[in-house]
Amino acid sequence: MLATDTSSSALAIQRDDTQREGGLLTSALRERAADQHYLKLSGLAKSFGSTRVFSEIDADIARGEFITLLGPSGCGKSTLLRAIAGLNNVDAGQIIVNGHDITHLPPQRRGIGMVFQHYALFPNMRVVDNVAFGLRMKKVQPEERERRVNEILRLVELTDHAQRFPHQLSGGQRQRVALARALVVEPQILLLDEPLSALDARIRRHLRDQIRDIQKSLGLTTLFVTHDQEEALLLSDRIFLMHQGRILQQGNAEALYTRPVDATAAGFMGHYNLIGRELAQPLLGYLSDGPRVALRPEALYLQPDSSLYGLQDSQVNFPTQALPSNSGPACPGVIRRHQLLGNIVRYEVDCQGLRLNIDVLNRSSRQLLPTHLRVQVYADLDEVQALADIPAASPTAKQAS
Amino acid sequence: MSLPAELPYRHGKPLLPSLMARLRLLNPYTLVVGSVFTLLALPLVATLFYALATRWGASLTPDGLTIKWFIELWATPRFLAAFGRSILIAVSALILSLILIVPVVFLAHTRYPRLDNLMNGLILLPFAVPPIVSSVGLLQLYAGGPLPIVGTPWILIPTYFTIVLPFMYRALANSLRALDVASLMEAAQLLGASPLKAFFLVVLPNIRIGIQIAVFLAFSFLAGEFVFANMLVGTRFETLQVYLNNIRGASGHFTSALVITLFVFTLLLTWLGNRQPATEGQPVDEADDTLSGTDLTAPIHNVTPDADSRGTR
Repeated sequence: MLATDTSSSALAIQRDDTQREGGLLTSALRERAADQHYLKLSGLAKSFGSTRVFSEIDADIARGEFITLLGPSGCGKSTLLRAIAGLNNVDAGQIIVNGHDITHLPPQRRGIGMVFQHYALFPNMRVVDNVAFGLRMKKVQPEERERRVNEILRLVELTDHAQRFPHQLSGGQRQRVALARALVVEPQILLLDEPLSALDARIRRHLRDQIRDIQKSLGLTTLFVTHDQEEALLLSDRIFLMHQGRILQQGNAEALYTRPVDATAAGFMGHYNLIGRELAQPLLGYLSDGPRVALRPEALYLQPDSSLYGLQDSQVNFPTQALPSNSGPACPGVIRRHQLLGNIVRYEVDCQGLRLNIDVLNRSSRQLLPTHLRVQVYADLDEVQALADIPAASPTAKQAS
Repeated sequence: MSLPAELPYRHGKPLLPSLMARLRLLNPYTLVVGSVFTLLALPLVATLFYALATRWGASLTPDGLTIKWFIELWATPRFLAAFGRSILIAVSALILSLILIVPVVFLAHTRYPRLDNLMNGLILLPFAVPPIVSSVGLLQLYAGGPLPIVGTPWILIPTYFTIVLPFMYRALANSLRALDVASLMEAAQLLGASPLKAFFLVVLPNIRIGIQIAVFLAFSFLAGEFVFANMLVGTRFETLQVYLNNIRGASGHFTSALVITLFVFTLLLTWLGNRQPATEGQPVDEADDTLSGTDLTAPIHNVTPDADSRGTR
């Protein structure tokens, strides 16, 4: 015992020396480490009565990261966000921001900014006063306050509307006021609770890009809640896919879109064709490892079956798609219907008892394939995902990520 | 089979224009509103004329018009004292109810939603229990215990509180409901305000109109209250209505002048209560000018149907 004690104290002295020598270096390293774990959620759980809202939420979020909590309604993502803001308490777990445990702090002392779906602007105040509210609470001097309000209003392009009341603004403008109001106090973390859901499509796209630009320029750690996978894919550094109160999968957009961990994730991201192992065999040419196979609609290729009808390609006016280098065997099928999704045409094809969604780039309306046309379907074998068919609620699902 | 409505126009000739105009005057809307208004205004107009008449005995119209009854009324110290007492009691009751009801309404709409259900039942009680019954109860309640105020005019303050409770609660609850008060409180707190500050800076200014309306309506109601004032305190503390009752044997012109005075006073208060602050600025800016920089003709790419509908199994 004694011996170890002396040796450890000697070690401590030694460490002290190295610290003195490379003090600058270690502090920089420590800072970087702190940046990597800027927001740390560990073991968060919350239930309302017997209903579990979320549980076993663990996440490490770096400074300046844009994280999206994506999931269907009722998956607990909004409640999780509100728990981080301090608007809901948690039953278990810790929320640590920049090394400080904020789990039990009241919302006004957390230094977290939040934007709500329905703006929550103060109706009795003009735009400037709404934005200045947080600074006034912090007792910032009037000159300083004015400067910062003007600066932030310029950032969200609302300088001309500073003297208006919220009810005189459009939805998009209101949400930008709400954004400015949250940003002006320079929060440690910005939370966005479906901020675009109440807006129409055009303004939504514009504000979406604006939020991303502002977040990047300020280097703000941001958590964004949405049920819209397009928004999630476009905005996020990382996406946390939530399902039934758990983080099912986390990763960047690319990983989530192309490599779903299980059938639930595949069902939410993209428009995966989920096929049982035996049924998929004629399409793949082999028996898959997992009990299920997931195939994105754009990883399937269509060719009109000219041999059957004796049609020439020119008659159908459908240029044969170049097949991928590693394509599966031809699988005969019949087109049942198609949906026009703008730049994509999604065909629903009956293929040996399988209903497959197949996406084709909409190059010209003359190239549309008619319903009931016989086709050959090819799968890009490089894009085939064999899924372990784990029930979504099981705790092991998360570890797969 | 033709519709009956087509009959007058069968030969393409409309009915006489004058008849049409007269029929329009007699449409159901005019008829209903007109008769209700007449019904309500008639006693008041009659009282007004009686108060302004020198003498109105055997003839159909008053003999002459005068304001001497009003002058006489306003010169009567007993009337002025009664008026003062009515105002004193009503104002005290309103202050008490504001202090008690505003926090309750607020809590019922933020932290304890169940309280709202309870209150909605509770505010029906003053209507359900007749004043005669409740005045007996009130006399019992305040006869002893911690607050023995029977026989003093102060008993009217808690009594009037129960009367105005329904008005105040409903008016305040409605203005809070229209506000989404929970989100506003949350937003204010996240910006660094304590709950108390958030309430005074954000919630209270926004329900000011609601409070104003509730207060003025309740006040006009209390100024005309007779049953409780008479039952609980009576002649020892003569409020306006008790005074009116006590002088009913005196000149009818004089009492008419009193009624009209009270009515004008109430009208004035109601008007004050309903007066909205002038709305500033321009109407809602529908065209969101931020879109000037975006290309509106850009294709809507990757539009995906609602991911929820696809389901997660």
